[in-house]
Amino acid sequence: MDELKIKEGLKDFFCTNLGIESDALGYDTPLFSEGIGLDSIDSLEIIAYVDSTYGISMTGVGKDPFYNIDSITKYIVEHA
Amino acid sequence: MTTDDKRCVITGLGMICAIGNSVEQCWDSAMAGKTGIDHTKTVSTEGCYTDYAGEVKCDTLDTKENKHMDRVTKLCIKAADEAMADAGLKNFGGDARTGIVMGSCVGGVVSIESYYTKEKTEGYIKQMPISAIASQVGTHLGVGGTCCNIANACAAGTISIAHAVDLIREGKADVIVAGGADAFASVPFAGFISLHALADEPCKPFNHSSGLSLGEGSGVVIVESYAHAKKRGAKIYCEVLGSGVSSDAHHITAPHPEGEGQMNAIRRAITNSGITEADIGYINAHGTGTAKNDAAEYLSLHTLFDDTNDDLAVSSTKSMTGHCLGAAGAIEAVFSIKALTENKMPPTVGFTDEDKEAVKERAGKLDVIPNLPREKQLTTVMSNSFAFGGNNASIVFSKDKGNVRTEKKPHGVVVTGIGAVTPLGNGAAKYVEAVKSDAKVEGGSVRSSVDTTDYDAVGLKMAFYRKLDRFSQLQAVSGMQALGDASYAITADNAVDIGIVIGTSEGAVGVGCDFETLIAERGNAAGSAFKFPNTVYNAAGGYLSICSGIKGYNVTVTNGAQSGISSIAYATTLLRNGEGKAILACGSDENSDIINELYSGLGLVADGTTLPYSGKGKKVTLSDGSISLLLESEDTAKARGARVYCRVKGSGFAHKGVPFATLTGSGEALDLAVKNALDDAGMTIDDVDAIVGMANGNGTVDDIELQSYARVFGDRSIPVISVKERVGEARAAAAALGAAHAALMLHGDIKKDSCAYLLDKGKAKRKAIDCGKLNNVLVTAFGSGGTYCAVIMSKN
Repeated sequence: MDELKIKEGLKDFFCTNLGIESDALGYDTPLFSEGIGLDSIDSLEIIAYVDSTYGISMTGVGKDPFYNIDSITKYIVEHA
Repeated sequence: MTTDDKRCVITGLGMICAIGNSVEQCWDSAMAGKTGIDHTKTVSTEGCYTDYAGEVKCDTLDTKENKHMDRVTKLCIKAADEAMADAGLKNFGGDARTGIVMGSCVGGVVSIESYYTKEKTEGYIKQMPISAIASQVGTHLGVGGTCCNIANACAAGTISIAHAVDLIREGKADVIVAGGADAFASVPFAGFISLHALADEPCKPFNHSSGLSLGEGSGVVIVESYAHAKKRGAKIYCEVLGSGVSSDAHHITAPHPEGEGQMNAIRRAITNSGITEADIGYINAHGTGTAKNDAAEYLSLHTLFDDTNDDLAVSSTKSMTGHCLGAAGAIEAVFSIKALTENKMPPTVGFTDEDKEAVKERAGKLDVIPNLPREKQLTTVMSNSFAFGGNNASIVFSKDKGNVRTEKKPHGVVVTGIGAVTPLGNGAAKYVEAVKSDAKVEGGSVRSSVDTTDYDAVGLKMAFYRKLDRFSQLQAVSGMQALGDASYAITADNAVDIGIVIGTSEGAVGVGCDFETLIAERGNAAGSAFKFPNTVYNAAGGYLSICSGIKGYNVTVTNGAQSGISSIAYATTLLRNGEGKAILACGSDENSDIINELYSGLGLVADGTTLPYSGKGKKVTLSDGSISLLLESEDTAKARGARVYCRVKGSGFAHKGVPFATLTGSGEALDLAVKNALDDAGMTIDDVDAIVGMANGNGTVDDIELQSYARVFGDRSIPVISVKERVGEARAAAAALGAAHAALMLHGDIKKDSCAYLLDKGKAKRKAIDCGKLNNVLVTAFGSGGTYCAVIMSKN
C-alpha cells in the first residue's frame, strides 16, 4: 500500500469532513490535542472512513492508533 | 405560600405515543408495564446494527383536513384535541388571552425525507420547519395570543410547559396549550445509529444502559391560571410549581460527566418551587438508557437526594415509549401528573431477576420501580429532561400550592451589549459605519461571512469552531461579540446567572436537509456522527454556552422571522422575574445553498435587489446573519457600571391563524401585538416616536404592515425604519437587527438614517429620520402563519 496516498486521503478527509484547516494539520500533528481538538464523535467518523475506504475495522482498538495521521496510516498498513 | 394570582394549574391532558393513542390507553399500558418498542418497518434498517423503535400505531392520524401537514403536526393535533376536550375547552376563537407553546426536536423531518426521496415540492418545503407545529396547531385551536415553538431537542417538551407557566405568571395569558411533538423518521434513526447511541435491544434505562430506543408521539397539557380555571369551574389535576433550566457548557451531545448542569436545573426547580428535596415523592427521569446519560443521572440523583430523601422513587417511562425527543418531556409530564393524581407510579421495564439484583448497587436507596407499577401516596413529583446541546430542564407538579419564588417588583431590563454578523460586516461598530455610509446589500440572495479574523477577535479556536455548522458559527461570533461589547466576563461565580435565548426561523433545517441528502444516497447505516449533532436547532445555543461558559437558562425559540424579537420578549420575561441576571437574546438565520434552494422552491428569492414598499411582488432579497443583544436586569447593570444602550419596556404577541407559509388575512394580529406591547410597557400609541418595521419587498408583508399602522396610528404620520433595505430579508437576524438598530438610535450611535419612510394613512414616503429626539421605538416582526411580535425599546 502507498503510505503517502493513505496519508493524503486521511488529511483530505479530516479537512473536508471534520472542518480542520489544512495549514494546521501535519501527518505528525496530535489529533486529540488542544490544537485540533478531535473528540469521541470525530473518532466515530475516523472509524467509519477507515472501514469504508480500506475495509479495516478500528472499533475498540484503543487510543494509540488514533494519535496522528502517521499512526492511523501505520495501523491501516499493518492490518491491510 | 404561593399566592392565588401566581398559581398555575393543569386542567387537561393529551397524549399519543407507542403505547397508546390517548392518555387512558397510554396509562393502562404503563400500568401493565407494556413496552411499545418493537422492530421498525417504517424506515430502512439495511446494514444498521439495530432496528428497534417505539412507533405510534394509529389509524385515525391522517384526515382529509390535515393531509398537507407533516406527521409531527398530526401527532400534536391528536394530543392537543384530547387535552382541550379533557379540559372542557372549545376552540378559542382567536381569544388574545390564549396561547400555544410547543416543543420539538426534529420538526417536519418526515417532510424533509419526502422532499429528497419522493419529489421536490413546495408542499414539503412548507412543512419542514419546526415553526409549522405551533402555528398549525394554534390555528386549529383558534389561539389568539402567544404562538411559539421551543426547539431544545430532548428538553423541548419540558421547557415549553415551563415557559407557558412563566407567561401566565407574568400576566400575559390565561390559558396556554403546552407540550411537545416529534415523529420517528430516518434522520434521527440514522443520526443516533451514527453516534452508536441506539441500543441493540429495546432500551433498558438504569439497567443495561447500552443505548436508547427512539420513539415518537406528542404530549400536551393545558396550563391555566388558577383564577381562570376556578372561574370556569374547570377540573384541576394539579399545580405547576417551579422549573429550572440550565446549560452544561460542556459538550454538544454528551452530558457533563459529573451531572453539574443536571443538578443546577433540579436545584433551581426545587428553589423556584419553594420546596425541599424531601418533598419530592417521585421523579420521572430523563432515563434514556445510554451509558453516559444513566451514569450522569444516577450521580446527580444520588448527590442531591441520598442524604435528603430516604423515600424517592424514580422511573424511566422511555423504557416503554422509547425516546420521543422533543415530545419526551411533555409525554413524561403527563405521566408525572397521572402518577401524582392516581398515586401510582409507572415502572421502568426490562429487568430480569438478575438485573433486579444487579441494579441494587447502582440505585442504592433510589427505587427505580422495576417492571411493575407501584402505589404510593404522592404530594409532589418532578419530571427531568436533559438534551443535546447540554440543555437541562426540570419541572415540579404538586397537589400543594408550594411557595413559588416570584419577585415582588419586576426587575427593569436594559440592553448593555450588541453583537452583529450581517452581510454588511461584523460587529456593532461596523453596522453603525454601514448606516452612516448608507451601505446596502445588492442582489437577490446575499450572505454574511465569518472568518478567522472574527474568530480571533472573540477568542474562538479552530479546534472549537471547526465543529460548528454555518448557523452555529454565525451565532457563536455574534454572541461572543455581544458579551465583549458589554464587557461582561463570565466567571465560575456568575456563569449560572447568565442565560441564552436564541430565536430562529429556519434554524437547522439546512443541516437537516444536508444530513438527509447523505443518508438518502448512502443509506441509514452511513450517517455522519459529525454532522448529526448540528441537525438540532439548539446546537447553536449549545455551542455558544460551551465557548462562552454560560451555564444558566438556555432556550431556542422558533416561529418564523419574529423569533428574532420574541427572543427579547422571552428573555425579558425571565429577567423581570429574577431568573438570571443577564441573558443573551439573539436572532439568527442562515442562507446556504440548501436554504436558497428551499426559498427558491417557494418562489421567494428575487433576481436582484428588492426594496421594502417597492411593489406587489412576492420575491425578497434572501439574506442571513446573527444578532445578539445582551439584556441585563437594570440593578445588575447599574451595580457593575455597565454602559446602557436602552431599556426594554414591553413586548406583545398575537396570532391570527392563516395557512402556514402565508400571511394574507392575518394583519389584525399585528395591531393586537402592538397593543399588547404598549400595555405591557404602560404606554399609549402616542408615546411611540418611530417604528423599526418588518417590510421586505413582499407585497403581502408590506401591505399588512402599512394597513396595520394606518389602523393603529390613525391620522398620525409615523417614521418607519427598514433595516431589511440595508441587509435583506435575514429573517430572525433581521428582526433582531431591528431591535439592535433601535438600541443604537436611542443611545445616539446612529444619529440619522436614510433607510426610513414616513407612513401616512397607509402610504409610505421615503424620508430620512433624525434619531436624536427618539425616546420610544416600536420594533415589529411577523411569523409565517399569522404570528406577530412587537417590542418597545426606550431611552429612559
